Amino acid sequence: MFEILESMMKEEWRIHSTMFGGLMFFLFPVLISIFIFIAALFLPFIQTILTVNQIAILAHYLFVLFGLSVGAFGLFGREVMNRRFGQASMIAYSSRTLPVSERKIFLNFFIKDVIYYFLFWILPFVTGFAVASPFISVSLDYSLILLITLTLSFLIGLSFSFLLSTIYVHSTKLLISILFLFAILGVLASNYFYINLTELLPTLSFFFEPSINKIIIPLIFIIISSTLSIIFLKVDYPEKKRRFKNSFDTLTNKLRFSKYSCFITKDFLDLNRSEGGIGKIIFSFLFPLTILWLLLSVFLKILPGVNFLIMFSIFLGVISSSIYNWLTEFDLFTAYSFLPVKVSTVIKSKLNSYVLINCISLIILILATLVEKNPYYLLPAILSFLTVSSYSLAVTVYLTGLYPNILLYNAKILFVYMFSILPILLVLIILSIFNPFYLIASPILIFVSLHLINKSFTKWDNWEQPSF
Amino acid sequence: MKNVIVTKNLTKKFGNLKAVDNVSLSIKEGELFGLLGPNGSGKSTMVKLLTGQIKPTKGNAIVLGVNVLKNPIELRQFVGIMPEQENPPSFLTAEEYLHFVAKIRNLDNIDKRCNYWFEFLEFNDQKDILCKDLSRGTRQKLMFAQTFLHEPKLVLIDEPLINLDPIIQRKVKDYLQDFVKKGGTIFFCTHVLEIAEKICTMIGVIYNGKIIYQGPMKDLKKKKQHLENFFLRLIKEA
Repeated sequence: MFEILESMMKEEWRIHSTMFGGLMFFLFPVLISIFIFIAALFLPFIQTILTVNQIAILAHYLFVLFGLSVGAFGLFGREVMNRRFGQASMIAYSSRTLPVSERKIFLNFFIKDVIYYFLFWILPFVTGFAVASPFISVSLDYSLILLITLTLSFLIGLSFSFLLSTIYVHSTKLLISILFLFAILGVLASNYFYINLTELLPTLSFFFEPSINKIIIPLIFIIISSTLSIIFLKVDYPEKKRRFKNSFDTLTNKLRFSKYSCFITKDFLDLNRSEGGIGKIIFSFLFPLTILWLLLSVFLKILPGVNFLIMFSIFLGVISSSIYNWLTEFDLFTAYSFLPVKVSTVIKSKLNSYVLINCISLIILILATLVEKNPYYLLPAILSFLTVSSYSLAVTVYLTGLYPNILLYNAKILFVYMFSILPILLVLIILSIFNPFYLIASPILIFVSLHLINKSFTKWDNWEQPSF
Repeated sequence: MKNVIVTKNLTKKFGNLKAVDNVSLSIKEGELFGLLGPNGSGKSTMVKLLTGQIKPTKGNAIVLGVNVLKNPIELRQFVGIMPEQENPPSFLTAEEYLHFVAKIRNLDNIDKRCNYWFEFLEFNDQKDILCKDLSRGTRQKLMFAQTFLHEPKLVLIDEPLINLDPIIQRKVKDYLQDFVKKGGTIFFCTHVLEIAEKICTMIGVIYNGKIIYQGPMKDLKKKKQHLENFFLRLIKEA
């Protein structure tokens, strides 16, 4: 039992440390602590516009979301792992060749994930807060409670996500029905029974009033969800061979306006035919957007002077740059390296695909303007969206090339990424508070983005491709 | 016959490990050159260096008159490369993958070219299956097809027969010999000595990144030496 767990932990460490060196990977949690320490120092200022309750709700839901997204990787990430490391090379797949049951492997995998994310995310987060506590006159007891409640919030998200993925493997229809039922219950609860959904999270009530009774509910939820996931675990190693008619030529022909039509077609087919299909874009893009919409709707009510549409467009720009991460998930450059193709050609093709898919974001922004009945701010909103989107993308491409999903785990790269993007966002937000129309000038940044992208082509063409 | 591959002091270091160590060799047009060596001796690194997929630490190579270090993309237009491990992209079908490669190489008569290979390597009934669902052998057939799709003059192939069934192996061996007879050149990496003995016209032996022998296959045949015994002796002495 513990041998498997120990080996999985070693495997996890070696995967990351061989990608960008043990020190850089080790520094990752240190960087998180520093970020949270700095953010916590600003708490007294934030408290002038947000109550402690609101900050607590935000932090706990963020960790539920984090747990959900980690679990979702289990749902959609198998293909990525297979491509990157090969099935046979991962311990998670060893039940096919060794006398170990799938359930035992899954249980170890689950525990490994909990330990790994606790050590690399939750603990550094709380440590950063604890170190800042004396400077902002907050009792250290809060840090201890926070460590418990944030861990449990993460586990609620993670175990719920695993449960959903187990249901998904058995029946997609059942999963959709359950999610639909939850949505209806949510609407009924908030509209007819006036229950505040945001306060339903059991870890929150423990945070506000710690007691043994209140910790039992989240624990029961986590244990039941995880146990059900393990009992009903079903791992498919699909033997069936999926067949498709040749749609490559037709699509390439339709996209012939771009000189990268064959690459864009491949990107589209990858997205469409891979596990989860269009669902994974909904999960990783539309879902955070919905959350953003809800959070902005709640918090901007208490922040007079901040324009909802402009804020939404700025954050939409950041979130939309994650489309590039998806586009680079499906292949490694080594699959092209024996063809007459430069790294920059593949990057350019991904940028073309990105621009096409990002039209959806633009449509969402226009729809948001209509819903908000605020066409007056459409122009600055669109310009700030385009600026932030292109700038975030340019920084991502420059720093990570074709490997954003790997290299952003490098502490140094993450640090530069954050410090290249956050100050710009802050300036844009402050400018928009003075006058949203100041953001009409924001496209100046697009020139910086173009320059950065051009530099990226040279940089990544000269970089020897790793074999991740 | 002119030289199609010339290397001078070609060296590749990965950290402290010298994967290829000061290799100087020349290969003439129309040769089927077999680079033999144990696992990890530097064969695949040589293919990557000769096709500009990785940069040398020292030295350079001229392939088909093209400076590999300066113009790797131009070179890869002309040569065919069959890597040992690379898989075709997961979510394209076999047919779509060959069309994808053909478009990258700006080829004409794409259907005709692709159908020839589906027929020749006998996997016509699997061309609409996603590459990720293909068997290892069929994937190898697909990679073989992409190597020759643009009718190159020089191909560099790394263990091309290892997953193929005996019927297709025979066809491929015959094809390679025929390709050379028609004026093509092959740089062929393997550690399967029986195959090398049957089809190669020249051999080179690489061990710990160094070329420890280079000579015509017929010399060994004249001396009635088995390649396997010769190879084992060389490695032992090295």
